[in-house]
Amino acid sequence: MATTISKPETLVGKSIRRQEDPRLITGTATYLDDIKMPGMHHACIVRSPHGAARIRSVNTAAALALPGVAAVFTGADIKDLGAVPTASSLPGLRVPHHHLLAQDRVYYAGHPVAVVVATDRYIAADAADLVEVDYEPTPAVADPEKALAPGAPAVHPQWPDNIAFTFHQEGGDTAQAFRDAEVVVKQRITSQRLIPTAIETRGVVAEWRQGDKAVTMYSSTQIPHLLRTICAAILGMPENHLRVITPEVGGGFGSKLNVYAEEALMCFIAKRIGKPVKWVESRRENFQCTIHGRGHVDYYELAAKRDGTMLGLKLKLIQDLGAYHQLLTPAIPTLSVLMMPGLYKFKSITADIIGTFTNCVPTDAYRGAGRPEATHGIERMVDILAAELKMDPVEIRRKNFVGKDEFPYATTTGLTYDSGNYGAPLDKALAAVDYAARREEQVEARKAGRLMGIGISAYGEICAMGPSAAMPAGGWESATVKIEPSGKVTVMTGASPHGQGEETTFAQIAADELGVDINDVMVVHGDTSVVQYGIGTFGSRGTAVGGAALFYALQELKAKIRKFGVMLLGSENVALVGGSCVDQETGKSVSFAEMVTAAHHAKTLPPNTQPGLVATHFWEPPNFTFPFGAHIVVTEVDRDTGAIQIRRYVAVDDCGKVINPLLVSGQVHGGVAQGLGQALWEEAVYDDDAQLVSGELTDYALPRAHFMPFIESSHTETPSPVNPLGVKGVGEAGTIGCSPAVVNSVVDALAPLGVRHIDMPLTPQKIWKLIQAGGHA
Amino acid sequence: MIPQSFEYTAPQTLKEALALIEGGERKILAGGMSLIPLMKLRLAQPAEVVDLGRVPGLNYISETDGVVRIGAMSTHHAVETSPVLRAHCPLLAETAAMIGDPQVRNMGTMGGSIAHADPAADYPASLVALEARIRLVSAHSERTVEASEFFQDAFTTSLEPGEIVLEVEVPVEPSNEGSRYEKFAHPASGFAVVGVAARIRKSGDRIAMARIGVTGMGTHAFRDRAAEQVLESGGTIADAAAIVGAGEQPNSDLFASADYRLHLARIHAARALTAALSRAS
Amino acid sequence: MKVSGSYVVPVPQERAYALLQDPAILTKCMPGCEGLDLIGENEYAMRMKMVLASVSGLFAGKVKISEANPPASFRLIVEGNGKIGFMKGEGLLTLSPSGDGTNVQYEGDVHVGGTIANVGQRLLDTTARMLIKRFFEKLASEAGQSERRLAAD
Repeated sequence: MATTISKPETLVGKSIRRQEDPRLITGTATYLDDIKMPGMHHACIVRSPHGAARIRSVNTAAALALPGVAAVFTGADIKDLGAVPTASSLPGLRVPHHHLLAQDRVYYAGHPVAVVVATDRYIAADAADLVEVDYEPTPAVADPEKALAPGAPAVHPQWPDNIAFTFHQEGGDTAQAFRDAEVVVKQRITSQRLIPTAIETRGVVAEWRQGDKAVTMYSSTQIPHLLRTICAAILGMPENHLRVITPEVGGGFGSKLNVYAEEALMCFIAKRIGKPVKWVESRRENFQCTIHGRGHVDYYELAAKRDGTMLGLKLKLIQDLGAYHQLLTPAIPTLSVLMMPGLYKFKSITADIIGTFTNCVPTDAYRGAGRPEATHGIERMVDILAAELKMDPVEIRRKNFVGKDEFPYATTTGLTYDSGNYGAPLDKALAAVDYAARREEQVEARKAGRLMGIGISAYGEICAMGPSAAMPAGGWESATVKIEPSGKVTVMTGASPHGQGEETTFAQIAADELGVDINDVMVVHGDTSVVQYGIGTFGSRGTAVGGAALFYALQELKAKIRKFGVMLLGSENVALVGGSCVDQETGKSVSFAEMVTAAHHAKTLPPNTQPGLVATHFWEPPNFTFPFGAHIVVTEVDRDTGAIQIRRYVAVDDCGKVINPLLVSGQVHGGVAQGLGQALWEEAVYDDDAQLVSGELTDYALPRAHFMPFIESSHTETPSPVNPLGVKGVGEAGTIGCSPAVVNSVVDALAPLGVRHIDMPLTPQKIWKLIQAGGHA
Repeated sequence: MIPQSFEYTAPQTLKEALALIEGGERKILAGGMSLIPLMKLRLAQPAEVVDLGRVPGLNYISETDGVVRIGAMSTHHAVETSPVLRAHCPLLAETAAMIGDPQVRNMGTMGGSIAHADPAADYPASLVALEARIRLVSAHSERTVEASEFFQDAFTTSLEPGEIVLEVEVPVEPSNEGSRYEKFAHPASGFAVVGVAARIRKSGDRIAMARIGVTGMGTHAFRDRAAEQVLESGGTIADAAAIVGAGEQPNSDLFASADYRLHLARIHAARALTAALSRAS
Repeated sequence: MKVSGSYVVPVPQERAYALLQDPAILTKCMPGCEGLDLIGENEYAMRMKMVLASVSGLFAGKVKISEANPPASFRLIVEGNGKIGFMKGEGLLTLSPSGDGTNVQYEGDVHVGGTIANVGQRLLDTTARMLIKRFFEKLASEAGQSERRLAAD
């Protein structure tokens, strides 16, 4: 029996390389399309090429006649199944019935009309070309403002105004704020539609197990448990006869935080043909049929005093919803409203959302989901106000920040910011970029006729989603920790991760708490028959909610382990130290292995104690968390071409306690890349006929590795009081902080030409035209 | 993203290949960087594809008698890194280095690219500026055409049915010549929104010879002889650049309108000419 | 997509107008057109095989002439549907004398959908202009030949 116990080094707070990386980077991981099953069939979906049309007829005869084709299903086959649901419930929300396959009309280009099932995917694709659909095109509308204009084509004929909902929120006395104002600035600000573009497109394999009368569905999803509940409801089957397994997921960014028609369709088809069936989305389908993000037209008005004190903020938000509601479509703009005050002490806000139907694929959660739009809005408006008042953008921000001694801080939008020190990351970023020197450099650059800009964003987020009262389907998360007889530790999390690295961070937490080697911990997720119910990974909640659930499960398990320590040592005065249990008086100890063996062999048991070592905890968060940070971007604009060069990118993030700095930096880097994508390059463009003309990667410009500036990222740490880990969440921070910093920087560069605002993406042509219009400074 | 089914043949000799493509019905596959995406989108649905990848003797870059010969199946990467081209025709190596991305450059071939004749491809600007000649061969004939004659229209060349590009002949750039390819790349496709190839030879302080090739502007690459003339008759680079593309109807797309594209062509012409001049001795 | 421009056809205006209404001439001049069959007054069913480099597609559609105001102007409507996409073009053609020939001015709107619209954005404008150019070049050559035939008669 060992007598000297040294507490091992803790892992939390250290940059540990990801446990999952070796399999991911050596091609030995299993993604959806790697799944092969005996007798597996393949599905190919026939989709509408029209933005809006009546379906006169669907003729499947030629497709069915092709050898190898097992079946063709059309709208008639599924009309009695349930609809693709939305979990959002807003007062008066108009919900179009979202059939799995189109009935008599199609509402967007890409709308599924029929499914062909064949013995291989080549035959399926050939047969899909043979399905003859007779369409009668009808007028379509793709622009949300045009959709709201009188006489616009009705997306859904029963609602000719194209309004799905309106939503009004007011805090404080905005009318009074605008009466008290010494200056009011107004701006229309758009946040363009974006295509999430996960590297792995969506995909589904469904297997009907006749003997069990059950379906096993494999899907590349962020939410296996919610998917099971909802799909079972669509199909009218018992939920416990549907098992959902999530293989490796190659990116989601919110686009797989959804339940799609294809998921239910494949389950339906597997049962009908009695064979496993696979459907893998093509990149074109991914562009046309997987949810898009953003899609805002915002009208802001900001009231302030001449000294820069901000008083009130008004927002009219036109949300492009697309043709249907996917899982959270209508809820996303409400997040923008919640976060519209940003980090500032507004006495009043008024917001009106007009949720607008268009003949486009639905919008829904995409990295940041409503918060990038809100942050972009407020951070642009603060800069516009600063320019109006000829104040430094740093000074005006500092003047209006919620003070570090004012937390918890109740916002006019009804939230309680948990903790914060907004000056800290801003100061750190200013020091990193040497702000004063950059401003001096800018003076010289302008004298030389160069267009140099410095842009700041001080951003806040709402993360760790979230208290169940505020979430459509519960906001808790679950964890189970099992200690196997051999002492190996299995962690099962309901927060099915898909690239966030929780197999590493959760193993760090468990290894520290139990005092075991990190390599003895295995994190399991993404199988509804193995893992207890959970909500999923989205809204920067994995660690802040799922990690907290894990922490509490570990405490319960430690209490039980300790009981075995007490029993084996024969003393109540014991403590768990680095996995062992130590008698505080004698120094005698029992090892982790001895206690684990005792619990499993159960020759004798402590009083009122069951054998085995398993603990499950479902944790309900008492609040959201509110991370924050500051990004500073130095740009230079090529006067001749309008091209933008990012000379410096400084990102300082405060996501509370950091479990693994390497992963936090990785999240910030990836987030910034997607933020730059929106700021500079990406835009889903529909033409007036509602054709997606940026329909492939040849026109839709994703950020490439060689476009990336060097990102100087660092952190400050302001722990959250909301959860025992003190963590806040970081998955979306980079994206949220990025776009306003970039646009503020470029507007600053062009300010001598009289430029006050530019809508994203800042394409060279757009910048060049502004330079042309502004003459030569 | 699944092509329609097609017959695939990989001939082992040039003679066999030319016999197969006689009649012009079969589609020729070189590096596949244009054809395969089009087939996967089902925009191209050839019934039969003849792969030149295994035909020997089409992959070489050599210099004899002041002419560099580039076999049609030379990859962009081979062109980019060829010591022969770097020494004797740096413009072409520089142009190849700016095509697409490393994957495309590893697979794509010069013959395939020029036969496809995308209006925004990079090579044509440099080939017309270099006054390159293109050797075409069929089962029964062989001929050589000037690059400026070869590129006729969007995706349209002087290739007749049954003919393939055999090789590209480029005159050696004299060592006192300066040249440069300047490109404004589309951020998504990597194609040239505009691309300008410039060559300059000096005589004392004046420009004795100027060649300007432009791609991305119109339906096909062209030599801007009027702008060349300005330089050769004592005009400045600014004067020459200011008339580049005059009389052309510039392309227009989501990324660049016709007027912006014309402006970019002139800016890039000025940049390419300035760089070429600084390299000339 | 807006298209506009003008071409000169080397025949007098009345003759040019007549040629532009002649289905045999239109069949020859419209790139890829394999035949026009009368289905109504001034309305034809069209079969078209578009080949542009590697891209090829079969289209079925309609050609319709309306607002006929001989020999000054008429409206031409062309619709086509195929597996790779669909298009609808509508334009006003205005004829006026130009020396010995006729200036044909066109101004119209082209709508393109399906795969060609989704992935071909970069090339649509270029391609549309090239096809229009080919149409008028062919028309000019057909007009020249028909003039010579008329002269020979």
